[in-house]
Amino acid sequence: MARERYLSQLDLLKESVLSLGEMVERVFGDSMVAVVDLDVKLAQRTIVSEAEINKLEEGIEISIFDLLALQQPMASDLRLVVSSLKIAADLKRIVGLSINISKIPGKIEGGHIKPLVDTKKMSDIAAYMLEDSLKAFKNQDVELARATAARDNEVDKLFYAVWVELIEMMAKDTSIISRATYLLFLIRYIERIADHCCNICESVVYLATAERTKLN
Amino acid sequence: MIETALNLAQPQNIAKPHIEIENLNLWYGEKQALKNISMQIPKNSVTALIGPSGCGKSTFIRCLNRMNDLIKNCRIEGKVFIEDENIYGADVDVVELRKEVGMVFQKPNPFPMSIYDNIAYGPRIHGVNKKDLDSVVEGALRSAALWDETSDRLKSPALSLSGGQQQRLCIARTLAVKPKIILLDEPCSALDPISTSRIEELIMNLKKDYTLVIVTHNMQQAARISDYTGFFLMGELIEFGETRQIFHNPQEKSTEDYITGRFG
Repeated sequence: MARERYLSQLDLLKESVLSLGEMVERVFGDSMVAVVDLDVKLAQRTIVSEAEINKLEEGIEISIFDLLALQQPMASDLRLVVSSLKIAADLKRIVGLSINISKIPGKIEGGHIKPLVDTKKMSDIAAYMLEDSLKAFKNQDVELARATAARDNEVDKLFYAVWVELIEMMAKDTSIISRATYLLFLIRYIERIADHCCNICESVVYLATAERTKLN
Repeated sequence: MIETALNLAQPQNIAKPHIEIENLNLWYGEKQALKNISMQIPKNSVTALIGPSGCGKSTFIRCLNRMNDLIKNCRIEGKVFIEDENIYGADVDVVELRKEVGMVFQKPNPFPMSIYDNIAYGPRIHGVNKKDLDSVVEGALRSAALWDETSDRLKSPALSLSGGQQQRLCIARTLAVKPKIILLDEPCSALDPISTSRIEELIMNLKKDYTLVIVTHNMQQAARISDYTGFFLMGELIEFGETRQIFHNPQEKSTEDYITGRFG
């Protein structure tokens, strides 16, 4: 077969994006444990891991620029390269949001104002969305990508429910405003993470079909 | 296979094709080199033909001005309509056809005479008046983006030009007899990158006034300059469509494999 080196570079690119995805899943998961349990040490470890992840993301970007400049990929190869670039950018944003989540435990004093039941539900759905969007990328599975993105509605509904609940709690008891605001930030970060998962699903649809589609 | 491929990939919305090929088959002796080719080439467009060596793309392009008539043991079936006239019809004047459908070859092949005479050769044969010749020569050289480089040395031998200039001279020579269609068989394969860029720019400018069909081995070149691309493999037209679609999302696996370098 011709162009073996090039084809192995494409395989490596895909594997690297999936490795990045695994690291991002771990960071998001840990940041949620840290914020639910208010575990400052775990939060700190999560924050430190950002540098390593950024390094991998940079490496992916450089290999993509090399592929574009030196190999001129075409057709499905081009779509793989372009969607990898976009997915890596979405994963990087998810890491940023997870790091923001990890910064919350250090700021909340005196425990949570309420049990994080719906917030936990939101983050569980977002975590499934992240896992499934990466699985869809791995297998170029358009159906899974569409089904995964559709779950964003569940996250949005929970977001508004918790939002309203927190606003009402703050209106009743102004002493909790500071801690409640961090929870507002938290649900916002989770909601944004789910949006980035939708973007990944859109990239998967493009990769598999060459169709540009809006799933969010 | 051909039926499916064409149904999938024949470009849509071609109001009126300039060249229409119907069930074209060609044999060199016993060997069939083109198998049932049908395609419609739109007017004022650049159509690129790609495919591995020996796939029939050069043979095909040579059918469009009946250059294959000159080859012994070559047998052709099918129809090629140019503006509604079947060029394989019994009463077709082949000399007149080749005036309408000009051709530029892989290796620049200027005549061993002056730059001026190279361009004037065709128009003279076709009876252009001596007093009109100067303007015909100037017009052709300008259209081929060669006037500025040659206007002060029209009497110099054409063979003193660089390879890229010689190829533009050959294009100018083709333009001088006022064709409607220009066929280019790997016109840049013997040229350096800068000369190649000039020819590519020229091809894109010429489509305002002409319909161009180019055979190229350079896929980036096909992607850059053409509006439509046809992929040939073992004498079959596997896929024909808008260039953007062919290089972005080809419908046939063999097209995908070829343009991504997995074979060929």
